[in-house]
Amino acid sequence: MLVMRRRPGESFFVGEVVEIEVLEVCGTRVKLGIVAPDSVSIQRKESQLTRDENIVAALSVEQKNISEILNCVAPRKRGTPVKRLTAVQLLTTDPRNSVKKH
Amino acid sequence: MTDLDLAKSFGLEIAPCGPMPRIRTKCLGEVEYPSHAVFTFPFGIPGFEDERAFVLLERPGAQPLMFMQSVATPELCLILMPILAADPHYKLRLDEEDLAALGLPARKQPRMGKDILCAVVVCAGGDDRPAPTANLLAPIVVNLKRKIGIQVIQTQVHHSYRHPLFSGHSREGLALCS
Repeated sequence: MLVMRRRPGESFFVGEVVEIEVLEVCGTRVKLGIVAPDSVSIQRKESQLTRDENIVAALSVEQKNISEILNCVAPRKRGTPVKRLTAVQLLTTDPRNSVKKH
Repeated sequence: MTDLDLAKSFGLEIAPCGPMPRIRTKCLGEVEYPSHAVFTFPFGIPGFEDERAFVLLERPGAQPLMFMQSVATPELCLILMPILAADPHYKLRLDEEDLAALGLPARKQPRMGKDILCAVVVCAGGDDRPAPTANLLAPIVVNLKRKIGIQVIQTQVHHSYRHPLFSGHSREGLALCS
């Protein structure tokens, strides 16, 4: 990893066209200004990680995996019968549509 | 705890089904849904920016899991669980931009289960991880009144984006995960 020290107002280039300027340093936070062509995508690392995680998570959704997740998050005690499966239910917030308990 | 009690505990109600539009879901068959059961994600979610409409489904016997099914794409479904079920001490901080995107009043943190639903995306596992994980870095937050959702990235405190899911107090849970 290349390490560089810069003060507010100073900048550096990544390649020929991407310029990054240190605008402000305040406590533990640094404000950066980035000048780059539209074709260069810029996103926070956390967004990139979340994007990748969402894609992997969506691919992992399969019937057989659901019980594996349930074993981890809500392990059943030995001998507890698995609840009888009924219909899938939609979750909403509209009070007009709440189901009355019988 | 009944399904209704559980849904209520995170601020939701169970909607009845009737003659309504249908969607094909990834793993729960065909489901009819009323238009007011649709949650709008104005920016989509990272990786699926064009997906703007989702329904939340619950399958009896699969609590506390919820299924966030895309209305437009049958193959797209994410498994969610309430964030407090993944980490009972989780503190959500929404900044002004997040509050505005959700249509919530500025300068007031919303209450989980009352104003908002806060849930994590669960990854069942894959080549690079043996057990299910949850992304605590970026919870899905839904304004329950306005039915608007976004995925918020939480950077104020360090949160794992691959938080291992197992019941910490249960040896059985650990054994099943290993």
